[in-house]
Amino acid sequence: MSLWVDQFRPRTLDSLHYHHGLSARLKSLASSGDFPHILFYGPSGAGKKTRITCTLRELFGPGVEKLKIDQRIFLSPSKRKLEINIVQSNFHIEITPSDAGNYDRVVIQELLKEIAQTQQVDLNAKQRFKAVVINEADSLSRDAQAALRRTMEKYMSNMRIILCANSTSKLIAPIKSRCLLMRVAAPNPQEMEEVLNYVAKRAPFTLPPEAAKKIIDDSGGNLRKAILVLEALKMQSPDLSGPLAIAKPDWETYCYKVADLIVSEQSPARVMEVRAKFYELLSHCIPPTVILKTVAERVVEKVDESLKADIMHWAAFYEVRMRLGSKKIYHLEAWVVKVMSLYKHFFYDMDMSSFD
Amino acid sequence: MAQPAKVTKVTKPGGKDIRMFFGATSGSQKTATQTSGSGSQPRDAIEISDDDSIWMKAAAAKSVPRTQGTSKPSKVAPMVVSDDEAPKKSVAPKRKKVVDSDEESDEAQGSPPKKKKTVAASKPSKANHGVLLSSDSEEEPAKSPKKKQAAVATKPSAAKPKPRVSEAKKPRASTSKRKSKKDEDFIADSDEESDMESPSSGADELLAPKAPSKKPAKRATAKAKVEEKPATKGTTKEKEKEKDQQVSKPKFNWAAAKAAKLAGPVAPGSKEVPDGAPDALAGLSFVFTGELSSFSREEAVDLAKRFGGRVVGQPSSKTDYVVLGDNAGPSKLAAIKKHGIRTVNEDEFLNLIGTRKGLGNGNIDEKTKKKMEKEQEAIRQAAREMEKREEKEKKAAAKGTKTVDPSSQLWTTRYAPQSIKDICGNKTQVEKLQQWLHDWQDSKNSGFKKPGKHGMNIYRAVLITGPPGIGKTTSAHMCARLEGYTPIELNASDTRSKKLVENGMNINNTSLDGYIKGTHDALAAGVPFTDRTCLIMDEVDGMSAGDRGGVGALNALIKKTKIPIICIANDRQAQKLKPLMATTYNMSFSRPQAAAVRSRILTIAFKEKMKIPANVIDQLITSSQSDIRQVLNMLSTWKLSSDTMNFDEAKTLAKMNEKYSIMSPFDITSKMLGPYLFSATSRETLGDKMELYFQDHSFIPLFIQENYLKTQPAKLRDLEGPEKTLKQLELMDCAASSISDGDLVDAQIHGPEQHWGLMPLHAVCSAVRPASFLYGTGAHYGGPGAMSFPQWLGQNSKLGKLSRQLTDVQIRMRLKVSGDKAEIRQSYIPALFPHIVKPLMDEGTSAVDEVIERMDEYYLSKEDWDTVVELGVDEQRDEVVMKKISSATKSALTRKYNGSEHPIPFHKALDIGKPKKLAAGPAPDLEEAFDMDEVVDELSDEEKKSNSDDVDVTTDKLIQVAKKKKAPAKNGKAKK
Repeated sequence: MSLWVDQFRPRTLDSLHYHHGLSARLKSLASSGDFPHILFYGPSGAGKKTRITCTLRELFGPGVEKLKIDQRIFLSPSKRKLEINIVQSNFHIEITPSDAGNYDRVVIQELLKEIAQTQQVDLNAKQRFKAVVINEADSLSRDAQAALRRTMEKYMSNMRIILCANSTSKLIAPIKSRCLLMRVAAPNPQEMEEVLNYVAKRAPFTLPPEAAKKIIDDSGGNLRKAILVLEALKMQSPDLSGPLAIAKPDWETYCYKVADLIVSEQSPARVMEVRAKFYELLSHCIPPTVILKTVAERVVEKVDESLKADIMHWAAFYEVRMRLGSKKIYHLEAWVVKVMSLYKHFFYDMDMSSFD
Repeated sequence: MAQPAKVTKVTKPGGKDIRMFFGATSGSQKTATQTSGSGSQPRDAIEISDDDSIWMKAAAAKSVPRTQGTSKPSKVAPMVVSDDEAPKKSVAPKRKKVVDSDEESDEAQGSPPKKKKTVAASKPSKANHGVLLSSDSEEEPAKSPKKKQAAVATKPSAAKPKPRVSEAKKPRASTSKRKSKKDEDFIADSDEESDMESPSSGADELLAPKAPSKKPAKRATAKAKVEEKPATKGTTKEKEKEKDQQVSKPKFNWAAAKAAKLAGPVAPGSKEVPDGAPDALAGLSFVFTGELSSFSREEAVDLAKRFGGRVVGQPSSKTDYVVLGDNAGPSKLAAIKKHGIRTVNEDEFLNLIGTRKGLGNGNIDEKTKKKMEKEQEAIRQAAREMEKREEKEKKAAAKGTKTVDPSSQLWTTRYAPQSIKDICGNKTQVEKLQQWLHDWQDSKNSGFKKPGKHGMNIYRAVLITGPPGIGKTTSAHMCARLEGYTPIELNASDTRSKKLVENGMNINNTSLDGYIKGTHDALAAGVPFTDRTCLIMDEVDGMSAGDRGGVGALNALIKKTKIPIICIANDRQAQKLKPLMATTYNMSFSRPQAAAVRSRILTIAFKEKMKIPANVIDQLITSSQSDIRQVLNMLSTWKLSSDTMNFDEAKTLAKMNEKYSIMSPFDITSKMLGPYLFSATSRETLGDKMELYFQDHSFIPLFIQENYLKTQPAKLRDLEGPEKTLKQLELMDCAASSISDGDLVDAQIHGPEQHWGLMPLHAVCSAVRPASFLYGTGAHYGGPGAMSFPQWLGQNSKLGKLSRQLTDVQIRMRLKVSGDKAEIRQSYIPALFPHIVKPLMDEGTSAVDEVIERMDEYYLSKEDWDTVVELGVDEQRDEVVMKKISSATKSALTRKYNGSEHPIPFHKALDIGKPKKLAAGPAPDLEEAFDMDEVVDELSDEEKKSNSDDVDVTTDKLIQVAKKKKAPAKNGKAKK
């Protein structure tokens, strides 16, 4: 039995629970015969992929749900083997460029050319073109994005590209201007509650409103997370009554521990302790920006009002640097030291003023 | 800020360190700071101000709390001296420093008896007291603008690096002046400067002490400004007056002079090295500890050696003197106490050089003298022997029995050791080797079964390893000859491929050479093989491309050899020598101590009639890292031009012949983060520091980042409590953000941009600059704060591995799940954990079925299950989790999983066909470049298309136009 989040995922545009305007537009686009390249963007857990799948189904019919996974191997110029996983149906293909690391440009060009050069073989297909879904488009390197520009225009007759990204800030303007931008915003609490109740009805059980509220508060607009939490809670206490303790994911509690370490002591030894914990988080595939964000938010909760702005400022400062640089830990550590220094200074200043 | 400085003094054993302070005379003005008690209460600043009118000023020489043997060096630090216009002409005969010359000092100058200058104030002020104000100075502005004032602000030592010692020979005054000026500039007091420029007082100098590093420079400067201002105003005019007065002053203020004498260095680095007797320190052994104020460690050590002293690392009961600097190591202090060793400070050390008369004057005790004489005798004796032998050989050569005249040989051959006792160092090793050769025949007879005394006799061959030039080959040859073997040497200049080794040695005994030629000798390298032959394979690690299979063949040879084989190599660890490890006895030669080589070299020099003192020889030996061959070569070259050599010449000579030595990253890190590289007396330039980075530019930044927090920063030395904590965090912050900068630069270098020209910047940002903030003691081998290998490397490869595994999990789950990798890790794995892992922890084996069902639902395999567990952190760390799952459960899961069928989302494409090669063309990185490309490519594509579509119409332009329109239509049709 799948998790609820997968089990009850809407499959058609009509069955989507929120952003009805968006659904309507997608539907009319799909039927217009003039389907553009589209860029879906929005926070994770807002329903981008769900909408993409629904749109594809609208375009090509239920055939797109027959997925098959294909693993392709490329040989990089340095003779390293790159395994690229491709998810495809008869009508579309889905690629994740981050698989290819530094070679995303060549891999994508290769794949796209291949797809674009073969035409739709199914004579009964509703559309003449194939769709290419590019996941994590914001992790495309600049080179790859630039290379995409030409492909998008040149092979327009044979394929449409659907990009899926968390934010458009890392996409270059030429790409954005070639796509129809579709913002999939995070659902608001009412919409989330609606969805949770729908899930509860299908499960089936009744969801007490307090529990729903609690879950929604906790999930911060991430519907996937909300539904997963709901299921976890249901496992914990089947009637969902009484005080509910929402179990945080392992990495989140670990980040909190790091934040507590930072606030409780400021010393070189402590920095090294924090560094070890950062290493552990990083090596266990928690993205550095998520670490920084989680820790910073927790630290901010714990410090004095006047420090909050500074701490967030520096978090933002070092987050940019993490993106520009290559060794994330350096920037995380620099931030930690900065925060410690700020905190200590504040601490002693306060100390002195209280004596005055 | 001006807290009273508390200086802990350490009294020197000699008792010289007590300072006396005097108010000079009864002045119309009283010096504020007259204290009769010496150093009882260190004041922050001492000023001396003179009245303009009378020379009887209050000469308040503040006694400086600074003891010579001060335990806390930092506090003592440099004083600021304000000079009156009076140039300091007199050089103190002894190396004492004059700290300040006030007017009083000027007066002192007038006085003939001693040339010392009076010292104004020296202050041991803590870092905090940036500026010292003497009460006089304060009064002055109010009282009379005309008063002359010498304001001395003493600052903590953190002075700039001083000019080289070599300058010290110049008249002292000039040096100190220059120095003081420098300091002023540094502080950048515009007021002061303007004052100085004013015509009336040319010579007036105000020294604003440099802010100690610990203090935020700003604060210190600010203060200094405030205080100096009043002082300077008065000064200019009055200087001239004073001069006049000076002349008239007959009296010598001995107290002030004494204070000056004891006051310590005016300015670090400016001390003159006394022109002592060349063997001034002969027979003495020194230990240096702590940081001297005006010499770097190397310079000081050099100095000791230059004057014939011996420098050892750790104090022992045999140590004559310990030269104490600031921040001496506690263990050394303890040892000093334990052994009751005499300690001297820098000035006394210099004094020692200047005054001690060395050997000639009976300063040396009988024992040492005897010892030295004995040594001399031994050298002469050895030289005579050498001479005799050469005579003999010469005669032999003349007779024609021997072919070579020794005088035509290289020194290295000519003076090669002739007997065991001639060999320098590695005596035990050589003896072992000789013993092994001695026993070889017996060992052979016993089938190499009896290990013997050293356990060597089970080996047919010996592998000698060690750095070049320490006598490996020589020892091997000599041992062989001494044991009656005829050495055959094959070295890198002989080809030693498999074939040649086999044939040459007749390993397989296949050759009929012997029969055909009618001799029973196998010939190798022109020397007949007998059972008294010994094969020396030199430079076996040099068996390279041309010697394919040589090591293997050699190894085969060793396994069945009937003669002893000695292999010689430099690097024991070399991959190439792996095969030899098991079949040879490993004997490593180490570099001999300088003492072991010295007498031999001295003998040779004596024999060659060169006059070279022992300390010079030592210098040559140490700087060539005990490479005897190199020393001999250097000497023989030198002999062509000169018969004598002094210390400096030796240094330059050695420098010229310096081998480029590569330090390990650990050494470099410990040097960079260590207390000396960035200390005030360090002589390394920025370029030298960057050079360290370039020794291993990929590792050093990682090492620095890993270890930069492990020091006790020298900059915090004088801070206590909260201030220390704050400052430390500030320094850490600077270092960490510099490292962060460094990473950005690194991304430019190793990223798509490949800006390799930025490497020097990277050197500074990632290594030099962070170290410059946090250098200090602490980063060393061993102990709790030991340097460690960068974690980044391990963690990064772990990240790579886990993220590859996560990709696998993601793609398998993809048929059910829409999330990307990050979402899988952040949301799904925590959500799946209670379903596929927790049941096993809680219920054990009974949950296995349920778990497998859930895994199948998401197409997860057993490996993916492992990944899910492995990816956990905190409470769900894999060790923690695996501990909670009983091994029975684990094996049940594995068995059950393997025993049943499972849905598979896809087959791995690993073995299907050849992977497609990706084009390696460089990516243009400019937007414009792409635009251009686009146009060109599109055109060419278009052309291609039309070409392929219709070949025969290509020539007709009109038709082609039509064709173009058609082409898409055709395509469209085809598609449908």
